[in-house]
Amino acid sequence: MKEDRRALPNGVGLGLRWEFLEEVLDGPPLAVDFFEVSPENYMRRGGYYPAALERVRARYPIVTHGLTLSLGAHAPPDAEYLAELTTEVERLRTPWHSDHLAFTSAGARAFHELLPLPFTRDAARRVADRLEALAETLGRPVAVENVTYYALPGPTELSEGDFLGELFERTRAGLLFDVNNVYVNAQNHGFDAEHALASFPLERAVEVHVAGHTHTASGLILDTHGAPVAGPVLALLGQALERTGRVPVLLERDNDVPPLAELVAEVGTIRAVCEHAWQASSRAAATRPVEAHASRA
Amino acid sequence: MQAGLESALAELVLGPPVEPQELGALLSRHALEPAERAAIEAAPERFLVYRKLVRNTLRNALALAIPRTMARLGPLFDQTFERFLAERGPRTHYLRDVTTELLDFAAPLWAADPRFPAWAHDLARHEALEIVVASLGEAVVPRELGPLDAERPLAFIEAVRIVRYAFAVHRLPASEDDRSEPVREPTALFAYRDAEHDVRYLELTPLAADFVERLLAGESMKTALLGACAAFGTEPAAALPGTAALLSDLSLRGALLGQAGAESLRAPAETSDHRGTLREKGHP
Repeated sequence: MKEDRRALPNGVGLGLRWEFLEEVLDGPPLAVDFFEVSPENYMRRGGYYPAALERVRARYPIVTHGLTLSLGAHAPPDAEYLAELTTEVERLRTPWHSDHLAFTSAGARAFHELLPLPFTRDAARRVADRLEALAETLGRPVAVENVTYYALPGPTELSEGDFLGELFERTRAGLLFDVNNVYVNAQNHGFDAEHALASFPLERAVEVHVAGHTHTASGLILDTHGAPVAGPVLALLGQALERTGRVPVLLERDNDVPPLAELVAEVGTIRAVCEHAWQASSRAAATRPVEAHASRA
Repeated sequence: MQAGLESALAELVLGPPVEPQELGALLSRHALEPAERAAIEAAPERFLVYRKLVRNTLRNALALAIPRTMARLGPLFDQTFERFLAERGPRTHYLRDVTTELLDFAAPLWAADPRFPAWAHDLARHEALEIVVASLGEAVVPRELGPLDAERPLAFIEAVRIVRYAFAVHRLPASEDDRSEPVREPTALFAYRDAEHDVRYLELTPLAADFVERLLAGESMKTALLGACAAFGTEPAAALPGTAALLSDLSLRGALLGQAGAESLRAPAETSDHRGTLREKGHP
C-alpha cells in the first residue's frame, strides 16, 4: 500500500469547495487539519483547478472521497473511470480513497446522485468483493460510506447494521461513518439513531463525516449539506467517537456555503465535541482491563 | 438480479413524470423481484425524491455552463432537458461534461424545431466552450517563437479549439437578461487558455481558421498554407504576411509553442497565483 505517512489526515477537516479555494491557497494557515476533495472535480482535466489542488496539498493533508464509482451497481465499475481514478489518487498520494455504499448508475446512465442498495447478503458480498478489488487497483486502502436513503428498494433481509457487518466480514476496507446520514435516516424512517448506532461496526471506522440537513414541508429531512451541523447530530457524533477513538472527522458543506471563517469556526465547534469524546474514549480504554478483571473476579 | 431494479429506478427517476395509476405499468416493464416491486409500490413518493435530487444536481451543473442559453430558451430548454434525461441520460462520470452530452443530444432536435432560434445551439456551444477549454491539457508558459522550418509541423498547447458558428454569438452581451439577437455571420474562433488560466478567443478569417486547423491536424506550415489558399482561391504569396503575423500573435499568446518535436515545450508544474475566469461549484 502506497501511503504518504507524512500527510495522514488527523483531527477535524473540511470538504474543499471552490467557493473558498483562493482563501485556502493564499490566506494565512487555517485551523483546519485536513481537506477532503472529490477527485471527479479534478480528474481528466488541466488548467487552474488541478494546479491549485497541488498547492493546497503542499499546505494541508488531503484525502479523496469519490462520487461516481457506483460500487453497489449490478454492473462492475467502469474500467476507464477506474484507470483515471488510479492516476488521480496516485497524483494526490491520498492515504486512502473512499466512495459510497450506493449505486450511481444504471447500465450506461449516470444519475450523479446516490441511490440506495437493498440490504441483502448478495449486495453486501458484491460490494465487499469490489472494495477488495478497488484497493488492489488503487494500490492503497479504501473505505465505504453509509448513505442517506429516502426509500429502501427491498427486499430488506438485514438491518443496516447487520448489512454493514456482513460486508465488513468480507473485506479489509474501512468504514467512512457518516453521522448525519444515520440521523436523517432515523428521522425519516422512524427509528432510534442511538440504538442504530450500537449496531454499526464502528471499530472499522477510518474516517467520520458530519454535515447539515434540511427539513422539507412534507416532513422529510434531506441530507443537503446546506446548513450547520444540527445539535442532535453533534451529540450522536460524540457517542460515535467514543467507540471509534481518534479517527479524522470531516465537516461537509456543499450548498449555501457560508464565508470560510464561519466554516472554520464550525470546525472548531466540532473539534471540541471530538476532543471531549476522544478523552472519554481514552478513559474508557484505560479502565477496560480493570473492568474486565473485576468482572472475572 | 439488481439490474431490473436499476432500470426501473432509472425510468422512474430520469423518465417522464409518472401518474400514480401508471406506476404499475412502469414497473411491469422491468424484471423486478416481487419484494423490489412491493417496496416501490409501498412508497413511490419516497423514490420520487430522487427525481428532484438528480434534476437539481444536473441543472445546477448546466446553469454554470450555459446560463444565457437556459435563460433565453426558458421552457423550451426545460423540454430539451427532460427529453435528454428520458431518452438518453447522462453517461459521463464528470458533471462538467454533462453539458456537452446534452448539447450533442439537442443539436438535431433544435435544428428541426422552428420554435428554437436558429442561433440557440451556437450560443450554447459558445458558452459551454469556456469550461471545455479551461479543462483541457496541461499548463503552459508563453515563449519566444524561434526560427521555424516550413516543411515541419508546429506544436500548440493542448488547451486550444477551433470553433465555427453560423452566428456571431461571441459578440452578444454577457448579461443573462440580454435578449438581443446575434448577427447571422459565419464565424470562426480560435479558443485557448492562456498562462493565467483565462479562456480567450481570437476571431479568425475563414482562410486563417482553415490554415490553423490544418496545423492543429499536424500538417507542415507549407502544406497547411498551400491547402488553405487552394481552398479559398488565394495566392499563397498574398497570404504570407498575414500568416506570419498570425503565428507570431499565437506565439505571444502562449498558444503556439514552436516547432513540433522540440524538447521542453511543456511548462514545468504550474505555480501561477492567478485563477481562471471559471468557477465551477464543488460537488458534495
